[in-house]
Amino acid sequence: MNTLDALRGTTPPRPHDARAIAALAANPGCARRALLDGAGIDKDAVARHLGFPAPFGQSPFAITRGNLFESLVKADGCAELLRMLRELLGLPVAEVAYHDVENVGAHLRHTHTRALIDRAAREGQDAGTLYDHPLLSLEIAGHTAYLEPDVVAFQLGGRFHIVEIKSFAVVDGQADPAAVAAAARQAAVYVLALRALLEELGHDPLKVSHEVVLVCPENFANRPVASLVDVRRQLAVLRRQLARMTTLDRLLAGLPDDVTFDLRPGEDGRPTRPVAELSDALRGATARYAPDCLSTCDMCFFCRDEARQEGSSDLLGRQVRDELGGVASVAEALGLADGERDPAEGQEEIARLLRNAERLRRECLT
Amino acid sequence: MSDRLDELERRIDELRAGVRRAMRARDGARARELRAELRTAERSWDALVSGEQPPPALEPPRLVTVREQVHQGLRLLGAAAQPRLIVAVSDAFFGGTIRSAQLTSLRRDEERSFRSAPHGRPYYLSAALTDRLSPARGLLTLSTWPLERRVVGPLSPRVDFLTCAIAVASQEGADGRADRLLIRMARNIPGATGGALGPPDPGRVIEAARAELRVHRERDTRDRAELARRAAAQLGDVARLFGAATLSTIAKETTMKGTINGVKAE
Repeated sequence: MNTLDALRGTTPPRPHDARAIAALAANPGCARRALLDGAGIDKDAVARHLGFPAPFGQSPFAITRGNLFESLVKADGCAELLRMLRELLGLPVAEVAYHDVENVGAHLRHTHTRALIDRAAREGQDAGTLYDHPLLSLEIAGHTAYLEPDVVAFQLGGRFHIVEIKSFAVVDGQADPAAVAAAARQAAVYVLALRALLEELGHDPLKVSHEVVLVCPENFANRPVASLVDVRRQLAVLRRQLARMTTLDRLLAGLPDDVTFDLRPGEDGRPTRPVAELSDALRGATARYAPDCLSTCDMCFFCRDEARQEGSSDLLGRQVRDELGGVASVAEALGLADGERDPAEGQEEIARLLRNAERLRRECLT
Repeated sequence: MSDRLDELERRIDELRAGVRRAMRARDGARARELRAELRTAERSWDALVSGEQPPPALEPPRLVTVREQVHQGLRLLGAAAQPRLIVAVSDAFFGGTIRSAQLTSLRRDEERSFRSAPHGRPYYLSAALTDRLSPARGLLTLSTWPLERRVVGPLSPRVDFLTCAIAVASQEGADGRADRLLIRMARNIPGATGGALGPPDPGRVIEAARAELRVHRERDTRDRAELARRAAAQLGDVARLFGAATLSTIAKETTMKGTINGVKAE
C-alpha cells in the first residue's frame, strides 16, 4: 500500500463514487486507470494539469431531469414505486413501511443505514419495506468510498433488492443498451456494497438479490415503468477488478522504482509539477484506450492524444482492435494491406484478410 | 375622482407602514401579502392619475395568499402532504396560483413568525414529525390537527397517501384537472381503476383505498399514538409544531438510553 501512497505523493486522496467504481468495470484492461484509482489519485486534476481537461460530468439538464423523475417516482410515500414492485415482484399489500434514512441528518446516515439494514435482516419481513436515501460504504484499495443507492427495497422473500431510478426512456420495451449497461454496472456496485455490509453484520450476503429493479420512464411520457435486470456478470467483473486493485503488485512491479504521479500542490493547492515530467511518468503505465473512455474516464483526452501519436489501432474502437489482433498500429495495418510490409510470425492470417480488403477497395474505386 | 385618489394615497401609506412593521417583526409571509396589495393599489393610483379607467380585470377578487392556498389544500386533503400534491390539489379544486418553489421557505417563515409572536395566528403551516421527533423532509401539516395526525411512522406515508386519495375522490372537481389528479392517484391503488383507461369512478377509488387502509390502519394508529405521546412529553411549543433539531433529539435519546422502535439510538 505504501507504494501506492508514494504514487499519489502529497496530493490528498480522492474518494470514489459509484460512477467511478462502475467505470472501472467498463475497461478492466487499463493498467493506467487501475493504478490511478488504486492510489486514489484525482484524475480530473491530473488531466487538467496535463492540459487535457475532459468536459466530463453530467449536463445540468440531465441532472435536473434525473432529479425530477426520481422525485416523481418517490412522491407520496413512493406510491408509484410500490405499484411497480407489487406488479413486478408480487409485493404483498401490507408491505409498505417506508424509512427515510436522511431524516437523521447527513453525518449519521451511514450508521443509521447499518442499524436499519441489520434490523431488517434479523427480524425479517416486519421491519420495513423501503429505505430511502441509504448510505453504504465500500472499501476500495484501502480507501472507504461512500455510495448512495436510490432506494433499497426489502420484500417478502426475505431478500433485499437495489432499486435504481434512471431517466432514460424505455420505448416499446427497448432502451439504449449502453445506458442500461451503465445503469447495471452502477447498480452492481450497490449490490456489492450492500452484500459487504450484510457480511460485516454477520448475515448471509446472498440476501441481496442479484436482480436489481431498474425504473425508467415508459415510452414518451413520464410514467415510470420497472424491470428486473440481472447484474451477475457485472458483479463478477467488478469483484475481479476490485480484487485486482488490492493486488496491484504485478502492475507496480512493471513501473520504475522512483516513479510518482504526484502533482506537488503548492501553498495555494495548485500543482507545481512540470507537465513533461508528469506525462512521462504516466506513459510508464500502459493505457488501454477505447473510444468509450470518452464517456467514463477523466484521462480520456490524454490517452486519446497518446494513441493518436502512436497511430494505435485502439483509436478505431474495440471491435476493430480485436479484429486486428496482433497488429498494434494503423501504419502497420496499412503496410500489411498494400504489401509493403511482410507479415511477422502469427500475422499471416490478418495480413491475408487486409490484402483482400485492400484489393476489393481498389476494385471499387477504379 | 380626486376623492378616490386621496383615498388610494391614504391606503398606500398605510400599506407601506404595514410592510415596514411586518419586516421588523420578520414576518415574511405577512410582508409579501401586504406588498402584493400595495402593488395593486399603486397600479390603480397610476391608472387614475393618467386618466385611464382601470379595466375591471385589473381588480382581482382579493388575492389569496400562498399561505392561505396551502391551508385550503391541506384542509381538503386532511393528512400530511408533499408540496407537489398540495399544489396539484389547489390547482384542481381552488383555481390555485401557487407553484412548488413558493413553498420551500414557507415552513421557515411560519416558524419565525411563531417564535416572534407565539400563537398569534389562528393556524400555522407546520412540519410533520419523524420517529426521532425531527421535522420530516418535505411534508407540510396544519398546526390545528391533533399530534397523531402530524407524526409519521413507517406506514404513515402510505396511509396519508390513501387518505389524500379518498379526500380527492370525494371532492367534486370543476374541470379536467381534478380528473387528471384522480387518475394519477388511482393508478397507484390496487383495484381502483379496474383496468379502464378513462377517468376512474370516484366511488370505486374510495372503496379500493379504504380496503388497503384497513390492512395498515391498526399498526399505523399504534405507531402514531406512541410517537404523539413522546412528542407531547418531550417537546416544547415550538418543537411540537416545527420539529426538534436532529442533534438535540439524539442527545436526548442517548441520555434516556432508550431504544426507539427497536433501533438503538446512535
